[in-house]
Amino acid sequence: MTAAARMEIRGLRKSYGNTRALDGLDLDLAPGEVLGIAGPNGAGKSTLVRILAGEERQDAGELHVQGKAFALADAARMVAVVHQEPQLFPNLTVAENLLVGREGVRMLRPATPASDRALMAALGLGPYIARPLAACTLAVQQRTEIARALARDARVFLFDEPNSALTDEESDELFREIHKLADAGNIVILVTHRLGDLVEHTDRVVVVRDGRIAAELRGEGLTEEAIAKMLVLTEHRAAPDAARIARETRQHSALLRVSGWTHRHRAFANVALHAMRGEILALMGVEGSGARELLRSFAGVETADGEIAIADATGRAAIGRLTAYVPATRQFSLYSNLSVGENVLVRLGRPDIADAFGTLRPKRMRSLAADIVRRFQVKTRTLTQGIRSLSGGNQQKVAIAQALAFRPRLLLLEEPTRGVDIGARREIYRLLADFAADGNAVVMYCTEVPEMFEAADRVIVISDGRLSAPLTVVDHPHVEALATEVTRLERHGRAG
Amino acid sequence: MIAPDKAAPAAPTRAARFSAAGRATFDLTLRLGGLAVAIVLVGLVFQSFNDAFLNTDVIISILRSMSSVAIMGLGLTLVIVIGEIDLSVGAMYGLAANSLAVIWILGGVPVQFAIPLVLLIAVAVGIFNGVLTTVLRIPSFIVTLGSYNLLYGLSLYVTHAGTFNPNYPPEGYTVEPSQLNFFVDLTMQFGTHQFSVEVFWMLGLVLVVGFLLHRSLFGFRLIAIGGNPVAAQLARLPVRRYKIMAFILSAVIASIAGILDFSFIQTSQPDLGLSQTFPVFAAVIIGGASLAGGKGTAIGTLGGALLLAELQIGLALLSPGPHAQQIFLGAVTIGAVALDLGLTRLRARRAA
Repeated sequence: MTAAARMEIRGLRKSYGNTRALDGLDLDLAPGEVLGIAGPNGAGKSTLVRILAGEERQDAGELHVQGKAFALADAARMVAVVHQEPQLFPNLTVAENLLVGREGVRMLRPATPASDRALMAALGLGPYIARPLAACTLAVQQRTEIARALARDARVFLFDEPNSALTDEESDELFREIHKLADAGNIVILVTHRLGDLVEHTDRVVVVRDGRIAAELRGEGLTEEAIAKMLVLTEHRAAPDAARIARETRQHSALLRVSGWTHRHRAFANVALHAMRGEILALMGVEGSGARELLRSFAGVETADGEIAIADATGRAAIGRLTAYVPATRQFSLYSNLSVGENVLVRLGRPDIADAFGTLRPKRMRSLAADIVRRFQVKTRTLTQGIRSLSGGNQQKVAIAQALAFRPRLLLLEEPTRGVDIGARREIYRLLADFAADGNAVVMYCTEVPEMFEAADRVIVISDGRLSAPLTVVDHPHVEALATEVTRLERHGRAG
Repeated sequence: MIAPDKAAPAAPTRAARFSAAGRATFDLTLRLGGLAVAIVLVGLVFQSFNDAFLNTDVIISILRSMSSVAIMGLGLTLVIVIGEIDLSVGAMYGLAANSLAVIWILGGVPVQFAIPLVLLIAVAVGIFNGVLTTVLRIPSFIVTLGSYNLLYGLSLYVTHAGTFNPNYPPEGYTVEPSQLNFFVDLTMQFGTHQFSVEVFWMLGLVLVVGFLLHRSLFGFRLIAIGGNPVAAQLARLPVRRYKIMAFILSAVIASIAGILDFSFIQTSQPDLGLSQTFPVFAAVIIGGASLAGGKGTAIGTLGGALLLAELQIGLALLSPGPHAQQIFLGAVTIGAVALDLGLTRLRARRAA
């Protein structure tokens, strides 16, 4: 067994259609070290993870382990990925999960070998050996995934946002295991949005941007602020212009008012918040912070109790009549069996697309759809082509247009420009600004500072279900300043 | 406008002119066209074996015999489009005929009132299926597998496992001739070729279901919900209500088929309709509906039923034995879907 195998990645390239996800990435991985990988969404992080895990093949470039080319078959054996959502067999017990794939060739049902028992005991899985995985906590499931990798002699451990849904204690325990793996001479990689974890638990952090390594931070230089700064240094971002500043200083009245707002599963509690007419408000927080749940509670998708008022309506009636919600994945907002035109109209009913008897009005539907598609600048050849034939950016515009066609007063968005190219992103931000300018409000859940800098008026940072005081975006001269402030608030929230 | 410095909305370009035809229309045309070609081809093949195949009598008997499968298929199409399954249509068809026999012949309720009562039973069955599926979230496959047996059990119970014929009521009961005439006239045959009115019922229901599915808000949302139930839920479409409605319509339409066939055959048996369950599914699937939901047409289901009836009668005339019908039913079901998937993949690859 090669205890200490170095891994070298040279000139890795991968494209999806016209999008270049990896553009000649070079990276060295040393055994015994915990390497952190950070990068904005769409920078190529997840593509790198998928290639390392053997889930995808690169277009060009080489991976070497100890000087030898690394093939897909090696990845399956050597590389273990611990996902945010463990990819295991929920109907089998912990011990059986370890056995799957290494059952041997005997006819009898394989028994758990002593080595597996020792391994599980070492990972603190002893009490759960015979328990079905579905009945175990997420933390136990993740440790099962680690055990499974160790049992097949994996040398590279890739942790992909592993602690976003763990409690603090569980998360500490996980990091102890991570350090143990590194100390045993394995290559350990941690991919996360949580800058605090990167600083605290890694020896070195590389920032992936535009498909390559844009920066490497270690030692004294490895601070949350430094990473945050590197993350936002992407392409030029439009600074708040005169019109936006004017919008900010204009007199507003609140459109959304929330108080004593408490999540059913306590992702947040006793929240008080408001959004002005004409305002775009960003809720920022990592996965598991409660920010996403807060946004979804305004749409009635997550259950929360407390006072909510939108314009002149209150409670569930306000949520049902005046809000429209666009989920983060287009998979949950678009209908692949419907055409582009039908997709933009699908939330409408009487009298927009049907008469009093429920008969569709095809002529009106055509003109309405054509009007919406033109207004939202969806680039499509026909209204009747399938929605899948559009580019990602245009699909996202359809998803937002579909929600706006419902004529809400409060638009709720999750990561509105995820996986969207820069041109379409600008257009989407403009659509949001136009919508807000009509006396409506937008609340969006963001994970990336550049998005808030470019699109939002105010930012509220949420950590562990607690809300920061709002930041006014125009008070920050450039995106780095906002990033520094957001990072500070986030750390403060965690500490408090 | 709050952003005067940003680009003005793009002037209407070529992209802003929308043509009416598109891929979705093309797909549908291809599917229905393929079905029509298959129906004609099968007819020609039978004709080449047997000169007597393509004559008015045979065609009329095909149309009559397809009608109950087609009608039940129309109701099932609604349920399949919304992404659920209704295995109980055949049993509902049987329960409708049997309960009509009991309410009318034994209960003495005039047939004109007994029929609406039977349709109310169907509404109750639809609510039962729909509520268990949507409120208790039991998969509809399980719910309707259960109600298939429940309804059959009810048929056995209310009829005491007996058969009924309104022309020969059991001892001690009478059927008024005027009521009998009304009932028999529901599927009246006329003309020298004994053309049954049941065919018109079928065509009428194709229009009704076709309108519901393709020209009404109900159908638009039905198709959307079937295509992406999660998105529909998040967009606050009335998913639960629509699913319950689909199950109610399916049960009511199946009972209409049961009542009409009872009027035509004039004999009820407790196990009536059970053997129709899978042919009905086959007709809907051959007609282009997808069990995954979001896809299906009234006219397609009609075509599927026509193709099956054509095969059935054609093979009966050639009389190679009952095995041939079953084998063809199986082969055509798989073949139609395989062909459809093959063509879809081929075009997806070409487009990529």
